[in-house]
Amino acid sequence: MLSRVADTLWWMSRFVERAEGVTRIVQVHRDSDLETEFSQGAAEYWNSALIALYAQNEFEVGKFKDPGSFIIFSPQWIGSVINCVNAARENARMVRDQLSEEIWVELNNLYHFLNSEDAHSNFATEESKFYARIIRFSLIFQGLSDATIHQDEGWRFMTLGKYLERADLTSRVLDTLTLLGSEPTRLDLIRALRSCSAFSAFKKKYRGALTLSNVADLLLFSEDFPRSLRFSLRCIDSQLHEISAVPSGSFTNEAERLSGRALAHMNFSDINSMISQGLHESIDEIQKLLIAVGQSIFETYVLLPSEINSTTPLQKLQSQMQQQ
Amino acid sequence: MAQNLHTVDAVAINRFKDYSNTGFFDEMFGTGFVAQDHYQQINSRLSQIGDSELETKQQQVASSFLEHGVTFTVYGETEGTERIFPFDLIPRIIPSDEWHEIEQGLVQRIIALNLFLNDIYKDSKIIKDGVIPREVVESSPHYRAEMVGFNVPKDIYIHICGSDLIRDEKGRYLVLEDNARCPSGVSYLLENREIMKKAFPRTYREMSVCPVEAYPDLLLKTLEYLSPRNSGKPVCVLLTPGVYNSAYFEHTYLARQMGIEIVEGKDLITIEDFLFMRTTHGLVQVDVIYRRLDDNFLDPSFFKNDSLLGVSGLMNCYLKGNVSLANGIGTGVADDKVTYAYVPEMIRYYLAQEPILEQVPTYLCWREDDRKFVLENLQDLVIKPANESGGYGMLIGSSSSRKEREEFSDRIKKSPRDYIAQPIVSLSRHPTFCDGSIEGRHVDLRPFVLYGDDIEIVPGGLTRVALQKDSLVVNSSQGGGSKDTWVLKG
Repeated sequence: MLSRVADTLWWMSRFVERAEGVTRIVQVHRDSDLETEFSQGAAEYWNSALIALYAQNEFEVGKFKDPGSFIIFSPQWIGSVINCVNAARENARMVRDQLSEEIWVELNNLYHFLNSEDAHSNFATEESKFYARIIRFSLIFQGLSDATIHQDEGWRFMTLGKYLERADLTSRVLDTLTLLGSEPTRLDLIRALRSCSAFSAFKKKYRGALTLSNVADLLLFSEDFPRSLRFSLRCIDSQLHEISAVPSGSFTNEAERLSGRALAHMNFSDINSMISQGLHESIDEIQKLLIAVGQSIFETYVLLPSEINSTTPLQKLQSQMQQQ
Repeated sequence: MAQNLHTVDAVAINRFKDYSNTGFFDEMFGTGFVAQDHYQQINSRLSQIGDSELETKQQQVASSFLEHGVTFTVYGETEGTERIFPFDLIPRIIPSDEWHEIEQGLVQRIIALNLFLNDIYKDSKIIKDGVIPREVVESSPHYRAEMVGFNVPKDIYIHICGSDLIRDEKGRYLVLEDNARCPSGVSYLLENREIMKKAFPRTYREMSVCPVEAYPDLLLKTLEYLSPRNSGKPVCVLLTPGVYNSAYFEHTYLARQMGIEIVEGKDLITIEDFLFMRTTHGLVQVDVIYRRLDDNFLDPSFFKNDSLLGVSGLMNCYLKGNVSLANGIGTGVADDKVTYAYVPEMIRYYLAQEPILEQVPTYLCWREDDRKFVLENLQDLVIKPANESGGYGMLIGSSSSRKEREEFSDRIKKSPRDYIAQPIVSLSRHPTFCDGSIEGRHVDLRPFVLYGDDIEIVPGGLTRVALQKDSLVVNSSQGGGSKDTWVLKG
């Protein structure tokens, strides 16, 4: 498959996953806003979310008063939900030949909705439906990706993008618990679990034992919960080996080497050692590994070695495309 | 129930009670007041539908196009706006005998144009025999001196041609221009048909319309025919300028329908005069490029420019015969509007035949007598730049101001080679649903001709319609829309 196409599919899929994850973070904060216990410390909680999303500066200089609508609608902040959806759709437009009509229509509809006047009024009047629409879109998108296109290399790059983004989001959500400035309350822990759709999974495994250690254990180390770091890294590693047809446990390129190392790190560590090392520091380390894995996939499959440091003058490129 | 749901005839509406077709040839009514035979079924179908139902259907169609991303992008000062190409539900009908003649005329024309291109880049017989002045050919901005002496694969320069046809006040079909570089619009033709089959399934079936769905297969066959390699399945790609190009939808659409890769310049690389695309598993050799870029953007090293869209070294691959291009390089001479004036002569010269399709009389401003006439009669003529597309830079004399005429007069005197003039043809009109009622609007027709092992034309073409009242400009960039075109089976 064309390297550029692989890269585009990967980004499309990352942006969809990111739109869902970020929406969930806002949704969960809004829901807990209703609890009095929470509303007393609301500013602090939003603050931790903004830090975890690296959005604090943009929020402070921007014109949005409310962090929720900032995270959804900000045109300036690159990670806002609307920017994620627009970017996913722009990527999809470039690789429409790789997607089914159903996938395209779902993404295109959400794009038109979020960029319409309706979106703002819908957000103001029916907030919970608004979040549900975005989240449901992502789930339909994933279902259609598994059910309506070839599970070939393009699909593998989409899967890689999805899990890398998911691993990143889960680690950020967990990190919010370390950024509060005080011990997380019961509500904080529930909020983190809900942000990862992990509350019922948690109850099933740990019943009522709602502690930071258990929550982190699930989100980091669960072998079978599909949003845990370990699960995501296993998917990344196995897709990389499917793409290269090299057996798992060995490597032929930098992407495989780094993903294998990250997976081993999760396979052979445990929650106690991470807590004693410092949870925030451990998460930081994992995030650095994830970034390195992403970069190495790009360098292995997309760039020619000579191009790694070159840049294209974007504006000139766009204007030439338009002249044709 | 008091109402009888079966008395359709009782509620039938005379759709065309207030319809006016005076002064023009009307596709449905001709020059008379009764719908022509081939429009009878559409007429009766329309009389069963109320305005609101038609309006609803029209809106459904628009939102379906938007949903499926059947759009083009208009670029202004800031960012691009995506628009759908406005679509009118009332189909244009062409009876089979009429189509048969158009088809023969188009085949004759593309053969002559290809012979002409082969000739001017080789022996220049037509010039030596004094049929076309050398000056005309070599002064064309799209003439490529680099191609002289080169044998294009299979001797075909124009593989895909979109010729625009109009009808005059008597209903005669005339060729208005030939688009021999990268004609666009075929994706709308195909999408229009899909949507019409959903909107009027019964009428469509009853009228036995010639299908058009084979176009992508025929196009792929045309491309594969060009492959320089004899063994194996040829690797064909569609080369697009990229996602910011206004026709990007069409590029992805065609690539998807043909099942070939859509590539950008940066996906391609040349090694020792062979062309490769860069894949996740290394380099794959490319045989044929369906390119949707202009000649001089294809290769910055060859055409010595700063194109970011092309591939350095591509032209050497082409000239060595290691990769084929559709259309070939240098076809723009054939769609220069000055060359256009000579097409009837070309047909007589190369084929010893009379042109089957007539064309619009053309005054060439670089000829002294013509220029004198043009400058004296600006108000009765259409002045067109010889090498612009999209309907830009025209002057329609009858609706121009004195100031505009003076400006054009100066321009013509300054660069006469760049302008031609034609009498104002009253394009035929077609009933069109506009703001809740049916009115006549001017139309043209762009059929798409494919020249490979055979010459193939999918029946009909893209009917473009000037949606603004009295406007003669059908281009999508200037308020034009489109209709489905139904050629009836014989």
